[in-house]
Amino acid sequence: MKGLTGYRAYRAHARAAALSALAYRGSFLLALGGVAFQLIALLAVWRVLLGNGDAGSIGGFDWPHMRSYLLVAFATGALVGGFVDFRMSHRIRSGLVSLDLVKPVDYQRARLWECIGGVWIEAVVIVAVAGLAVLFTGPPQLPAAPEFGLFAVSMVALVPLKFVVSYLTTLACFWTENFVGVLWARQALTGLLSGALVPLAFFPGWLATAAQWSPFAGLTSTPALIFIGQATGRHALLLVAAQLGWLTLLWFAARALFDRALRRLTVHGG
Amino acid sequence: MALVEARELTKVFRRPDKDPGLRGAVKHLFTRRYTDKVAVDHVNLEIEAGEAVAYVGPNGAGKSTTVKLLSGILVPSSGEVRIDGLSPRKDRMAVAHRIGVLFGQRTQLWWDLPVSESLAVLRDIYGIDHGTYKRRLARFDEVLGLDEVLPVLGRKLSLGQRMRADLAAALLHAPPVVYLDEPTIGLDLAVKDRVREFFRTVRDEGTTVMLTSHDLGDIEGFCRRLVIIDSGRIIFDGDLEAVKDAFARERILNVETESVVPLERLRDALPGAAVEPGETPTQFAVRFDRFAMTAGQAVTALAPLTNLVDFHVDEPSIEDVIRRVYSGELELDAV
Amino acid sequence: MTTLRLLRLYIRLLGAHMRSLLEYENDFWIMMAGTVLMQVVNVAFLAAIFAKVPAINGWSFWAVVAMFAMVAIAEGVGSLFFEGMWNLAWQINQADLDYMLVRPYPIVLQVSSMQIGINGLSNIVTGGIMLGAALTHIDAHWTPARVVLGIVVLLSAIVIKVAINLATNAASFWMQSPSPLFAFAVHQAGDLARFPLSVYPLALKATLGFALPFAFVSFFPVSYILGHGSAWVGLLTPLVAVYCVAVAAWVFKRGLRRYESSGS
Repeated sequence: MKGLTGYRAYRAHARAAALSALAYRGSFLLALGGVAFQLIALLAVWRVLLGNGDAGSIGGFDWPHMRSYLLVAFATGALVGGFVDFRMSHRIRSGLVSLDLVKPVDYQRARLWECIGGVWIEAVVIVAVAGLAVLFTGPPQLPAAPEFGLFAVSMVALVPLKFVVSYLTTLACFWTENFVGVLWARQALTGLLSGALVPLAFFPGWLATAAQWSPFAGLTSTPALIFIGQATGRHALLLVAAQLGWLTLLWFAARALFDRALRRLTVHGG
Repeated sequence: MALVEARELTKVFRRPDKDPGLRGAVKHLFTRRYTDKVAVDHVNLEIEAGEAVAYVGPNGAGKSTTVKLLSGILVPSSGEVRIDGLSPRKDRMAVAHRIGVLFGQRTQLWWDLPVSESLAVLRDIYGIDHGTYKRRLARFDEVLGLDEVLPVLGRKLSLGQRMRADLAAALLHAPPVVYLDEPTIGLDLAVKDRVREFFRTVRDEGTTVMLTSHDLGDIEGFCRRLVIIDSGRIIFDGDLEAVKDAFARERILNVETESVVPLERLRDALPGAAVEPGETPTQFAVRFDRFAMTAGQAVTALAPLTNLVDFHVDEPSIEDVIRRVYSGELELDAV
Repeated sequence: MTTLRLLRLYIRLLGAHMRSLLEYENDFWIMMAGTVLMQVVNVAFLAAIFAKVPAINGWSFWAVVAMFAMVAIAEGVGSLFFEGMWNLAWQINQADLDYMLVRPYPIVLQVSSMQIGINGLSNIVTGGIMLGAALTHIDAHWTPARVVLGIVVLLSAIVIKVAINLATNAASFWMQSPSPLFAFAVHQAGDLARFPLSVYPLALKATLGFALPFAFVSFFPVSYILGHGSAWVGLLTPLVAVYCVAVAAWVFKRGLRRYESSGS
């Protein structure tokens, strides 16, 4: 019984977030803008480096592959974007969280559903950008069926994974006034270690391996590598398994941290 | 030459006349329609040095707009403003030293600084020397109790504290002219009294004050002159005492009787007063001149007729004065 | 008011906020750490690329690091000394400029001094280190004249970034939004300027060179200092700086006039 009524409450959260994304579309699109400009810059640079498709290859990547990689990176960057960080942290900093805590819904799950609610607008932008890319450069080479399935799973798992990373960051608001500093630190680290800036293969061996099996890989590298066919078969399966494993681990770590944060809240006051 | 001069001062706000929503925005691109709102309509005003002027009017009459025009925050659509012979537009810096402004609804203090620091910053902006600054702060403490407010952060101030601090901020550089726009709004009685006493000190020191308020208590005993504005036009500009003598003598005794009494009998019992029916058959309003009759006498006169369940006495508000002037009942020294 | 007094008052206004900033020590270090980390990641990212590639369009690792450094330094100066202008949109929305119009100090300076972005300090320091390191790794023929011109060019680049910030934030006078969306968007576009201009298609090159002269914040100044490519264009940076400041001042003035005539 609790599960059923709970589900409706969470769906309401999702719907509210979906509508608010429309109302705040200016700020929303702005968060996407950052990812978009990064895409443009990286596309420009790699196009020059990989000689515009003339059989050049660096680090195991040629231009068509790098292009696809960057597009997937854009998609993963756009999903659960910067707006989510600000919405969640704003709740805590403004004290609205006290209202949330009184509601008969699980705080973490409610935030997840809100995040899911906002995904539709991000998806629209991603489809638009992908459409443009296809228009200019022709359709990309899709991976074989089983790998494509893994890619889809990876992309779907990406949403809760990115959410929980964001969520963990916003919990810092309980300990410090300066959320922005924490956010920048996280964005910098995940940008680098997820392979969003540069494929993990470009790192020195030890770092590349560590990053590939870290939670960060699931944020960009894993789905991107599967899509362009650089990760196949057993390797791909292991990567997705790692992604899901980290998702589970971090989910429960977040719950534990939230409990501690609450205790601190009630001890220190508003 | 008057210290503050407004000549044919007019301010028209032009707002685009858009239908709501996306459709309206697109339509507006093709057919531009505007509505003009005249907020201030050819206002002529002259305030001499040392005067304390009350500037009143109903909501939306143009009071705040006038104050903004007179302080250079808004540019007039036509007409002129002169402060000490200077134009706020052309000589903004010079005029800035000559005026002080307080907007009751908003603070000019910095949110993240303690009041003492905000005032120190203003001291440096206005170029006040330290000795004079200390002296003025001491004066503010004497009359407003400012010392207890000094260490508090801007964002943590209560309304009463904030108003006192903002008053200090407005008058820190001892400007010859001060505009006070709703300076007692939302204040409790204790703070109001303190603040009103402060106004009197300021006026007694020779500062020219223009006060905008809905509260008659702010104006009484402080302003000599009353200016009433309505729909952007000045409809009255004259002596406050004269108005009070003619109008503020009135009191209204609202009674609720135990049993229904015919109006005629009440009127017979209270000659020299005007009795009007109230909302229910047992409620009445008795209007009388307080110099001709007291409330007690009125109650005594009614006692033989019926028991009184409840009663209270109303004093006229400035809104009543305005309504009366507007409807033509008061005609003294009309503009 | 004399220029000296204007300047002294500005430092005074900035300084007033410094104390309130330093009150939260933990947050101070977190902010610093966050921004330093961002630059570290930038360098790591570049190192990863250049480990496999000798140059981008003739630009070596250290040359590109120098470009990233310039953007960081310019950004840092903007944050440290002029952060307040990012509040302009909110101030306009709340009609908080009214009191500023009554004070005897230029409104644009009152606005920009309202806040200090302490992250600016770490950006300046980290960017400075990056630039210094880059310079030691490049052979450039240094003469006293070149050094002086180099400094002038660098300072001009910083001025351009701040001017663009001001001009785009002043756009808030025409918009209803309580947050500086347009200025933010342009700011993000500025990140493109961290890479050599030649990698971009012509349309983008023209935009970054003329319409939003971010190219003069990093690319052309660094070109001049390193003696790369069309180095002479870098000498135009001071002129571009003057132009940008003029435009920014004009936009702000027009915006203020709009505020004064329409209230809010």
